[in-house]
Amino acid sequence: MKVTYNWLREYVDFDWTPEELAERLTMLGVEVEGVERAGGGLEGIVVGQVLTREQHPNADRLTLCTVNDGEGERSIVCGATNFQAGDKVALALPGTEMPVPEGEKPFTIKVGKIRGERSEGMMCSGKELMLSDDAEGILILPGDAVVGQPFAEHLGRSQEDRVYDLEITPNRPDLNGVIGLAREIAALTGNPLKLPDTNFQEGTERAENLVEVRIEDASLCPRYNARVIRGVRVGPSPDWLREALDKVGVRSINNVVDVTNYVMLESGQPLHAFDLHLLAKAGGRPTVVIRQATEGEVFTTLDEQEHELGSERLLIADETKGIALAGVMGGLNTEIGEGTEDVLLECACFQPQNIRATSKALGLSTDASYRFERGADVGVTDWASRRAARLIVDVAGGELAAGVVDAWPEPAEPIEITLRHERANTLLGVELNPAESIAHLCGLGMEVVAESNESVTVRVPTWRVDLKRETDLIEEVCRLHGVDRIPATPPRGARGENEFDAIHDVLSCLRQWLAAQGLSEAQGQTLIRADEAERAESDMVSLERPLSSDMNVLRPSLLPGLLDSLKQNATHGSHDVGLFEIGRVFRAKEKSVCEGRRLAITMTGRRDPTHWEGAGREETVGMPDLLGVLEVVLSELGVHGVSRARRGKETGLFVESAALVLGKKEIGELGQLLPTLARDYELRGTVLMAELNLDLLLQCRSTGHAFKVLPQFPAIERDVAMLVPEGVTHERVFEVVRQANPEYLARTNLFDVFRGKNIPAGKKSMAYAFTYRHGERTLTDQEVNGAHEKLVVALHRELGAEIRD
Amino acid sequence: MSLLDEIEPLKAEALAALMAVSDQSSLDSAKGAYLGPQGKFTGLLKQLGTLPKEERPAVGKAINVAKGELEKALKVARDKVELGGAGPDQLVDFTAPGRCRRSGRLHPLTQVTEDIVRSFRKLGFAVADGPEVEDEYHCFDALNTPVDHPARDAQDTFYVDTPERPLLRTHTSSVQIRVMQEQQPPVRIIVPGRVYRRDTADATHNPTFHQVEGLYVDRGVTVGDLKGTVEFVFRELMGPKTQIRFRPHYFSYTEPSFEIDFANALTRKMGKDWLEIAGCGMVHPAVFEEVGYDPEEWSGWAFGFGIERIAMLRYGIHDIRLFYENDMRFLKQF
Repeated sequence: MKVTYNWLREYVDFDWTPEELAERLTMLGVEVEGVERAGGGLEGIVVGQVLTREQHPNADRLTLCTVNDGEGERSIVCGATNFQAGDKVALALPGTEMPVPEGEKPFTIKVGKIRGERSEGMMCSGKELMLSDDAEGILILPGDAVVGQPFAEHLGRSQEDRVYDLEITPNRPDLNGVIGLAREIAALTGNPLKLPDTNFQEGTERAENLVEVRIEDASLCPRYNARVIRGVRVGPSPDWLREALDKVGVRSINNVVDVTNYVMLESGQPLHAFDLHLLAKAGGRPTVVIRQATEGEVFTTLDEQEHELGSERLLIADETKGIALAGVMGGLNTEIGEGTEDVLLECACFQPQNIRATSKALGLSTDASYRFERGADVGVTDWASRRAARLIVDVAGGELAAGVVDAWPEPAEPIEITLRHERANTLLGVELNPAESIAHLCGLGMEVVAESNESVTVRVPTWRVDLKRETDLIEEVCRLHGVDRIPATPPRGARGENEFDAIHDVLSCLRQWLAAQGLSEAQGQTLIRADEAERAESDMVSLERPLSSDMNVLRPSLLPGLLDSLKQNATHGSHDVGLFEIGRVFRAKEKSVCEGRRLAITMTGRRDPTHWEGAGREETVGMPDLLGVLEVVLSELGVHGVSRARRGKETGLFVESAALVLGKKEIGELGQLLPTLARDYELRGTVLMAELNLDLLLQCRSTGHAFKVLPQFPAIERDVAMLVPEGVTHERVFEVVRQANPEYLARTNLFDVFRGKNIPAGKKSMAYAFTYRHGERTLTDQEVNGAHEKLVVALHRELGAEIRD
Repeated sequence: MSLLDEIEPLKAEALAALMAVSDQSSLDSAKGAYLGPQGKFTGLLKQLGTLPKEERPAVGKAINVAKGELEKALKVARDKVELGGAGPDQLVDFTAPGRCRRSGRLHPLTQVTEDIVRSFRKLGFAVADGPEVEDEYHCFDALNTPVDHPARDAQDTFYVDTPERPLLRTHTSSVQIRVMQEQQPPVRIIVPGRVYRRDTADATHNPTFHQVEGLYVDRGVTVGDLKGTVEFVFRELMGPKTQIRFRPHYFSYTEPSFEIDFANALTRKMGKDWLEIAGCGMVHPAVFEEVGYDPEEWSGWAFGFGIERIAMLRYGIHDIRLFYENDMRFLKQF
């Protein structure tokens, strides 16, 4: 449904801006899907007249003018030379936002001094007004231009307006007309709804002498209202009518048909006009019959489509033929044309289900069928008919026959509904003022039939087919009170809240990631032996009266516990073990106890379960396996940029180890267990362990995860194998690559490290694959060679690398 | 014999030769003998030029039809030879064990805890946490447990050997106090965590064990709500046919207090009508006053139970110490 700002204002007063109106309608439940500007533009620009023109005292190329803007004189500095005193010009007053092409930033005319002279506006060129490309001089208007008149008006442009595209929910057919929407605004503002006057002079001939109406089945057509206007002159519509239709996207046909469309848009009630003389007459006057089609009856609609109808289709007919497909489209045989003199005006009400079925079956959806399907207002029929009749006489001349033929066999009793105020309060969770609620209901067209302190009973108007019971009234009261004015109450007891809740989830995920790496979860004792604890940390927390010397301190690290678990497993012959534990550790800090969360990992023995074939099936875990687990876990957690700083010497636990460093913080360590300690714990082979500070890791997580567009263009790969001193680490190579920053480099991948045959002692061979890629095109070999060469030179220079061919 | 009459017999001969092919060399020789440049069939084609012009189309067509047939037969013969050579030298033993990657398992206590957390979260509870090294205030005083209360017996509680003499929390209820002091009602929290008692380790005791605590505070919370929630959670955990019984009991921080027994197929298998599983009750007004809640306005309940006990019941584990040994043979079972 389309409606314009100005059209709404014809029926109700409101002082909202177009933007506010959109907001109000949306909050009333009428969603604004789009707003378009129509007409208007050039605000702030008026027709002015140059009174004097002199040379600017301080600038050769400028003139200093006085210009009459219709209200007074202004001093204007101008750069153009194509005008003289007396010329009429387009004058932009200070504050005017000049029109600019779409996407450009608008600029505003201000009062200012140009080369020392005051300038209070701007005389505009055709280009500045976006009327032409002429930027040479200012626009000189015809001599008859009215000084002071808004420039847009001078150009004959229509008044500015906004066209709203509204989504009308199917329960509210009454909002498919401008008046229905205006009524909502009236109810909200308390301002009266202003309906156009439909009283006017009728002719002497009575309508019932000119036409008769017979409804065969009132359940399919509850009401049929006919009026006759004689002596019309069919022709083009006046501007106001054509513009009104054009703004909301309805094509102008002729003045009579345009009026029926206009009144439909206005009232929501579809109407149809027939050429009266094309109806078959019997006994001097035609009879309009509302009947079901006969099986196989052929009917041609206004769009010149022929339809073969079944008996379930409802036809408007005369005594010999169909003249309209009821509620959907008129017939070609009785169309209003240039020769039409007398008009039969139909304004009826049809059963929604029947119209919907016909529209679907014939694939024919019209503005009329759309409205009838949703339920037309049986009460507005006569008003809409009179309104249309009056407008037809206004725009096409002629005379309205007196009276009306209004077939309405079984008018329904109006519905009455009672609203209990307390019930509304309970449901809405807000204390409403009963008087306000009643005012809202009355604003929507309801009539109070009974009232007490506790409740009010109202009669529902015919157009509100959606109001059936109390809860419907509560919804109305709620809408007009404003959903936004109902305070939100916290979910009562339905939601718990705690800071730790989210951490619990991260830890759960962490456990799953670790299990997916082949590690099982351990739970160690919190209370452990002091001498075991000491190996990992020195600031231990002792118990006052321990149960035994086996359990006399709180664990300062999870590693001693895991070591115990390894021993437990070894004792039972399990030498292939991968364990992790997430738990708390305790350290004495000055006089108090610090608790922290840690993650510890240990791996020993075979990498994979034994298998009966294949190379490497007996391989045991090595440091790269532990590093791989840590990389996966850190990446899943969203902790990036952790580096591994090799420690120079043994520790209490490790023969070879590294600190995990993030920024300046040490977030953990990993290493290989001292062989002597392994022996003491009866462990075989290499034992790898790591421990991370979870509290720090959780602080360093970055959880954002943005999709990277898949590369569209092929990559080019260049391999480099180089001899470097033993001490050169992968991290160092990476650093050199990063500093060299070769163009297009997308990825660096270490794929081989080799020592031994043909490699001098103290050196190793490292092989890297460098992937080059451009996001928007295919790279040429030349481009890649250039970038790669730069990188190779840097590797040689910074690392002393000998590049192997 | 005219050329036309030679076609059929030669074709039949060639087809027989191709059918008989068994390996690459016999394939090559059959192909050479008939379809190769010196082959008999190729020879026929060559003779075509010697025929009178008017006979050529008919004979040519017949030769081409026959040639098409022979080429099809050649393809069949070639496929046969190739397929025969590609047969497996070794047969796959479909019954031999597959190659597995190592897979890790979550600790049974974690799995039970997650199940408990999941069922409480369905009811809108959030997971909360607090320190394990606690002070006497949060562990006892604020929970309406006076100094002379037997629960405060030093025999049951580990104290840390520092000047402030903190203790290891004996129950997760200490977190109730911390949460209520930090936030206004309504409160819906669940607190899984480690607790400590001075019990020498044996099959049913470990100085370290796990508890879950639930706390719900709101307006109009009733014993009925407590029962409804407890029944819901335990049926989620122990099966839909689990029966729950509340017995009046005493805890210093709840009033009224109850112990909760359950019965299901498991208890019947153990030869018991009911097994005690948890303690609970309505939060004592003194506890509310301690944290600054108005007991006239707010009511609530709390309950707690041991996770090891649930896990032992659920899996039929007879020794609590197994949970802390981390034997791979044990861990791999869950």
